[in-house]
Amino acid sequence: MKLPINWLKEYAAIGNASPEEIAEALLRVGFEVEEIIYAGAEIENVVVAKVIDCKPHTNSDHLHVCMVDNGKEILQIVCGAPNVHTGDVVPCALSGAKLPGGIMIKPGELRGVMSYGMLCSGKELGVDDTIIEGAEVDGLLQLPKDTPLGTDIRKIIGLDEYVLDVSVTANRPDCQSIIGLAREVAASMDVKFTPPVNKYKVVEYENEFMPDVKIESDLCSRYTGRLIRDVKIERSPEWMARRLRLVGIRSINNIVDITNYVLIETGQPLHSFDIRFINKGIIVRTAEKGEKITALDGKEYYLADDMLVIADTKKPVAIAGIMGGEYSGIMSDTETVFLEAARFDRRSIRVTSRKLGLRSDSSARYEKGVDYESVDEGRERALALVYKLKVGKIVDIRSDAGIDRPKQKIIETSASQICSIIGIDIPIKAIERILNALDIETEIKSKTDKLICTIPLRREDIEDFADLSEEVIRYYGYDNLEPTFLKTAACTIGGESEKDKLINGLKNVLCGMGAYEMMSYSFITEKAGDMMLLDRNDSRRRCIKLLNPLGEDTSMMRTQLTHNALSAAALNLSRGNERFRLYEIGRVYIPIEDGKQPEERTHLSITYSGSDETFYTIKNTVNAALEYFGVNTVLKYSAQPYLHPGISADILLDGEIIGSYGEVHPTVMENYGISAKVYCAEIDLEPLLKTGEHVAKYKVISRFPCVNRDLAVVVKDECSVGELLDTIHCACGNDLESVELFDIYKGEQIESGYKSVAFALKFRSCEKTLVDSDIQKLTESAIKMLSERNGAKLR
Amino acid sequence: MEEKIRQLTQACSEEISAAGSENALYAVRVKYLGKNGLISDLMKGMKDLTPQQRPVMGKLVNDARSALETEFTEKGNQLHEAELAQKLAAEKIDITINKGRSVGKLHPLNAVRKRLVDFFVSMGFEVMDGPEVETDYYNFEALNVPKDHPARDMQDTFFLGGNLLLRSQTSASQVRYMEDHKPPLKMISPGRVFRNDDDATHSPVFHQLEGLVVDKGITMCDLKGILDSFAKHFFGSDTKVRFRPSYFPFTEPSVEVDVSCSMCHGKGCKICKGTGWIEILGAGIVNRKVLKICGIDPDEYTGFAFGFGIDRIANIIHSIPHIKLLYENDIRFLEQF
Repeated sequence: MKLPINWLKEYAAIGNASPEEIAEALLRVGFEVEEIIYAGAEIENVVVAKVIDCKPHTNSDHLHVCMVDNGKEILQIVCGAPNVHTGDVVPCALSGAKLPGGIMIKPGELRGVMSYGMLCSGKELGVDDTIIEGAEVDGLLQLPKDTPLGTDIRKIIGLDEYVLDVSVTANRPDCQSIIGLAREVAASMDVKFTPPVNKYKVVEYENEFMPDVKIESDLCSRYTGRLIRDVKIERSPEWMARRLRLVGIRSINNIVDITNYVLIETGQPLHSFDIRFINKGIIVRTAEKGEKITALDGKEYYLADDMLVIADTKKPVAIAGIMGGEYSGIMSDTETVFLEAARFDRRSIRVTSRKLGLRSDSSARYEKGVDYESVDEGRERALALVYKLKVGKIVDIRSDAGIDRPKQKIIETSASQICSIIGIDIPIKAIERILNALDIETEIKSKTDKLICTIPLRREDIEDFADLSEEVIRYYGYDNLEPTFLKTAACTIGGESEKDKLINGLKNVLCGMGAYEMMSYSFITEKAGDMMLLDRNDSRRRCIKLLNPLGEDTSMMRTQLTHNALSAAALNLSRGNERFRLYEIGRVYIPIEDGKQPEERTHLSITYSGSDETFYTIKNTVNAALEYFGVNTVLKYSAQPYLHPGISADILLDGEIIGSYGEVHPTVMENYGISAKVYCAEIDLEPLLKTGEHVAKYKVISRFPCVNRDLAVVVKDECSVGELLDTIHCACGNDLESVELFDIYKGEQIESGYKSVAFALKFRSCEKTLVDSDIQKLTESAIKMLSERNGAKLR
Repeated sequence: MEEKIRQLTQACSEEISAAGSENALYAVRVKYLGKNGLISDLMKGMKDLTPQQRPVMGKLVNDARSALETEFTEKGNQLHEAELAQKLAAEKIDITINKGRSVGKLHPLNAVRKRLVDFFVSMGFEVMDGPEVETDYYNFEALNVPKDHPARDMQDTFFLGGNLLLRSQTSASQVRYMEDHKPPLKMISPGRVFRNDDDATHSPVFHQLEGLVVDKGITMCDLKGILDSFAKHFFGSDTKVRFRPSYFPFTEPSVEVDVSCSMCHGKGCKICKGTGWIEILGAGIVNRKVLKICGIDPDEYTGFAFGFGIDRIANIIHSIPHIKLLYENDIRFLEQF
């Protein structure tokens, strides 16, 4: 809401308070001032000057060389305007001046003659005839000859003004107006508030046509119409056009300007119809199916049956509260005006405006809510202006329908109740004073702390004592609160959930492995499935779609983390960050049933890249994570389409795949623009989080000596180390403390298609010292089983 | 004989002193004290002496031998130490080289989230988690924001069709919590929220932390007390807190809370846009209607709620200029915090 300070001054006796002081007073009571705007900020160093000499330029057929007196010095200025004469008083942009549109004026040579400034037209100053007479002539803006030389031009064209851009909260539609804010400013600064006095004379009704008003929908609770006859459509006075300009409204003509002026000043939207285009009567009703209207913007709108219209007996003449019809508005030859002031349902206006994609200052205002009081205030203010500006004659006839003024709400409360949620004792007299200053008539029941408060109709936001508490503390001052520490509250046990604790621990493990936590949006692109080569029927392609996404790249809710992980990898690589370990623990959204909330599952993604990274480095991290949960998992080659088929693994827990990891498939690398090898993992954490915290139990540590033996066998290439290890464990049982791979050899001495695999075995028993014969027996049984199960030969 | 012993002893002593390595010393030892060494040879010459001379000479030879043994040991130790020192010196490495990788770090947002959670948990707040895909009811309706209410314009919401939306505020968790728990309540709910807003200062995804206390006799002063200590904990012990009246549909009275700028200490700087104050959260007394909707008697219990942006706090603490940096996942960014 734009609040010009001089307009505010008309209703609040703020004297010479600075814009900053007023902004501070508003902030104190809950109205944040987003910006203090100086209306003339676009113009600098332009002053009133007199042309004291004007000669044709010797080297041009249209330029003049002028000597100009700006009150301080005489300047030579070359001027190209056709209307420049000696003796003219005109705006002069001095050297270093700024003009609207970012134009800077510097001294310069024009066809061999130096010019130390520029004489300006109205257009160059960004004004037209509505702001200052003569602004639209072809040439310089001619000012009255008695204008003092050197005067800042911004004073002359009404731009030496400050405007506050006030942010009004949604609960205070009554403050979407100059008068509403004036009431608050006055109360906050403790100065007098004077509402406008609207006086006008009426002329006798002469039986001319005055439409009857009928309300046929409960979306309109109040409709009032007045008749203005002998209207002369003209330009508005400059002061009005200038004020409208300060709030961003262009002046049109006297009638339209008055309705706009009143909208800003009182917050009441008004509409004026040319009576010639109203057939018989006014009916406020919802549109009929298939009805359409061409609005003032020249566009045709198809109306639905929940949309409120103002109609005559034949057709809709306006979309209620949003825009009038093209053919019923004010024309240059309009003589009789039907002026509407009404209260429409804010939800209905909002929905209709949205459905039609049509917004206006009026609909924006109605959406916030217009109260009963403002219908009368706005209408009366408009009529007073019509009378004052002699726009036409107000006829003594009314067409009113709906509820005139509902009863005012009365809240019975007490000082102690009001203070109960504030926490400090505010004297009852102070409460009474504050509420009365806000026009909430408050009476103290004598000798009690009971209060009877009458709520003005404009304050539809006030419903119970809590709202009054807010009004009181807002003005009493939040700085007066004494901080306390829940002195009446019970002691409670706080803490994080088991799930959160497990995730925190997992993050410690992953950070310990050198991985940095990343965080990506919950959205992915529709193309993710294709980019990852997912099968057409892959369930991860079934995503919840956003109805109003920001863009295609963020149009679906993610069902996996890998897409964003690969995108992050691509970004890092493209920026020359070649070595990184990243992980993310985040939610994916698995649709269950249309219209139902999806299942939100927590997944883990790990992404490694760098010259020292291999399948085994990411495997190591994955294993650390799995070990943290203390689960037994099984590995098998993965069929994930986005992973290298030979360098990837699925993790199986109780026979179910819970995740996969490995090297990214070369085609997928291409799809993401990834230029170096990337290893990634994605694991569904839900089954792991269910296992709960892993509490290890003590196992006996043997005190007997250990015996080390190496064992090398030759096996077929496709035989995996994992299988061999399983066999060795199986053969040796509990006396084998550990077995580790220490070499794989292929080449000379080994038949092609075979490899030699060497293991270091460590034997130790919990019961006795193992002797040579025990070790002999154990290794023999290992060799035997390796040969039987894996076709291994001792090397 | 005596003279010979003296000469040999002296010659041996000199050779011991001259020995430059443990090996050389060993050679000397073999030469003099070995089985066929020069001193041992003396003993062999004993048989030529008279029985009277033998014990005397025997003693002399033994004395000389043990004196030389001592010299060998001392010299041996000396040489050993010198050689070890030399070996160690030769093994010296360049300790300024780094190998292996550093430990990773939490994302700055989660590091701050953890600090926030720890702070409130220490005061007995339970941490609660709610769904990010919410229904209109929990995100708006139950929070006193009916359909088509202008308050809905305060937040640009992402819609998913039907009744579903992406929660635009963690306040959505308030109602769920109050449905399941009865007072006394102390709860925080940190989490991800979404708004259809994407420019230099807004990210469509960001994080909030909602706090809720419901008990008997809770007041605005309690809210101030908690937020005072929170601000001091996070922004320094000289931080001041300012309440400004505001409006949220689910609290009444409602306030915006500013803290004095920790960068300029209230003098005015770029961070606080010259005002000396930084807006960090919204709060208020839980609206009586909301309590009623959740089945809590507003005449018996009151409460306060607050909610702030974790991203914003992280950006203030770490002087991060743009919220977007948080979600780019450039490793050079993540390594900094």
